Amino acid sequence: MNMNKIVIDPVTRVEGHGKVTIHLDEQNKVKESFFHTVEFRGFERFIQGHPYWEAPVLVQRLCGICPVSHHLAAAKAIDQIVGLEPEELSLPAQKIRKLLHFGQIFQSHALHFFYLASPDLLFGFDAAPSKRNVVGVAIEYPELAKKGILMRKFGQEIIKMIAGKRIHGISTTPGGVQKKVSVKERDYFLNGKDIPSIDTMIEWSREIIDFIKIYHSNNKKWLDTFAEYPSGHLGLVDKETGFLELYDGNLRAIDAYGNTTLDDINNDDYQHYFYEGVEKWSYLKFPYIKNLGREKGWNRVGPLARLNVIDGISSSHAQIEWLEFKAASQGKTNNKTMYSHWARLIEILHCAEMMKSLLEDDDILGNDLIRRGERRNEGIGIIEAPRGTLIHHYEVDNKDRITRCNLIVSTTHNNEPMNQAVNWVANNVLNGKPKITEGMLNQVEVAIRAYDPCLSCATHAMGQMPLEISLYDHAGKIIDERRR
Amino acid sequence: MKEEDKILVLGIGNIGRQDDGLGWLFIDYLDTLKFGNFDLEYRYQLQIEDAELLSNYKTVIFVDATKENTKEGFYYRTCETSNNHSFSTHELRPETVLFLANSLYQQRPRAFILGIEGFSWNLDIGLSKAAAFNLDKAKQFLFEKIVEYDDIGMVSND
Repeated sequence: MNMNKIVIDPVTRVEGHGKVTIHLDEQNKVKESFFHTVEFRGFERFIQGHPYWEAPVLVQRLCGICPVSHHLAAAKAIDQIVGLEPEELSLPAQKIRKLLHFGQIFQSHALHFFYLASPDLLFGFDAAPSKRNVVGVAIEYPELAKKGILMRKFGQEIIKMIAGKRIHGISTTPGGVQKKVSVKERDYFLNGKDIPSIDTMIEWSREIIDFIKIYHSNNKKWLDTFAEYPSGHLGLVDKETGFLELYDGNLRAIDAYGNTTLDDINNDDYQHYFYEGVEKWSYLKFPYIKNLGREKGWNRVGPLARLNVIDGISSSHAQIEWLEFKAASQGKTNNKTMYSHWARLIEILHCAEMMKSLLEDDDILGNDLIRRGERRNEGIGIIEAPRGTLIHHYEVDNKDRITRCNLIVSTTHNNEPMNQAVNWVANNVLNGKPKITEGMLNQVEVAIRAYDPCLSCATHAMGQMPLEISLYDHAGKIIDERRR
Repeated sequence: MKEEDKILVLGIGNIGRQDDGLGWLFIDYLDTLKFGNFDLEYRYQLQIEDAELLSNYKTVIFVDATKENTKEGFYYRTCETSNNHSFSTHELRPETVLFLANSLYQQRPRAFILGIEGFSWNLDIGLSKAAAFNLDKAKQFLFEKIVEYDDIGMVSND
């Protein structure tokens, strides 16, 4: 059969360079669709031969957006190599690292919601591209934009306090952290004199959740149906309570109907449960749970998945919001892609509440910063990065050199879900249409953007970061193309 | 000196991509001069929150590597505001950040772009020989402006 082909290359307002192709037949019916990641970097190979203590510093270079996540996942793995499990670090070290992690997720989620996702929600799919961006938001919703700026700044200032600078700072050392927090540094975030205080961050986080709830009630029909498809969900949960855990917990997965598919396994066992599939048309791998197979074993990760797999949230306001979020899907597993934004904002609130709790905890002022155990030759660190479950795994030789590195980053887990999202839009929006409009193409991107993909991390890619879209006819000729 | 009288210099680039590190290396140079009236910042890329930072200054210089074929190995230009957003991801142009500083904070610092011509952009640390030569010329240019005129906005090399 002859086929037409639509290509979206690059996809805009995501981190990295992605490309979408949609193949049509002669009647413009969608035959098949793919979300390609077309860059390759090979960080896992570069890092071999380096001393293990360099890993947390080197892997930060994977990404300018979530370097802290890579830094901390690698640090947890290297802790094991120096003989320490996460709970064996000193309390100051554990809490300072967690404060850093919450600051990172807070600023990353703020970046995504205010700068990347909100233009679609505020202006709609069909708004002119020249308006449907962060500049448009700044012009028409300046107070919202300013709050977004200050929320992101708050998270970045937390990172700067602990790591020395906002991007690619260094805070951890094998077995702990390099510096404690001073009273003066802590008060900067509590007293609200120089920047809005942590209490203001909590207040604004609640305000923006109110905004998204109103948005959901006004747009329920399309939010409930747009890019809804069954999937597994994967995330860390607290080892004792099953609550939301972003720094250190057990891995839990459920299927689209809430049945457990991965039952709170220890981090060290991950490789017994996961495989990574490959496809010729993408540098991004396709992880899946081994015993379920490539077809059924894939999972979403990130805010929506996390709020699906947990039993609750330890911070009080976020817990209330989570209960309301769960009620919106009648307590069932939520497979609606657009609910990712609501979930992400609940996590923003959780991070703000956790930052307040840690900033008010005198343990972060402590001097017991570094510990050591018995040297090992292997370390595994798993955390929940802003975009989902992040796995770092290192093996080292007796000369302290890294001999093997395996990274499964959040966007890699979301590879199959993003392909499913593209497929949904192709079949439900583009299918059979005689003309493809800009608004239709943007819907493909909206579906991908809900995952906040970081393709440069996922493929460990180099190059510029634009996103593109193209369209091919049944003879393989490009009939429409969008480059941004 | 009042805080608002300071000059903000933003070096944009990536030291791990050969000549893309020109902006950062220029900031390193200014740091060695220890002039009290410069606030120095490193950036991989400009973000919307830089609009808030800019709004605290009367004068801003953006320093970045450029692929543009320049006459003297660099250019030094006035930066005008523009709301012509590139629409690509989260990266913003200096002109757009200036626009946002004005739009969100009603501040319009005078701004300049120092673009230093680079040639090699691979994943490696260290400038190409030609880019290093251009960096030296740009350093000399700005140093002379500071010393001779005590005003970085008095002369353009365009």
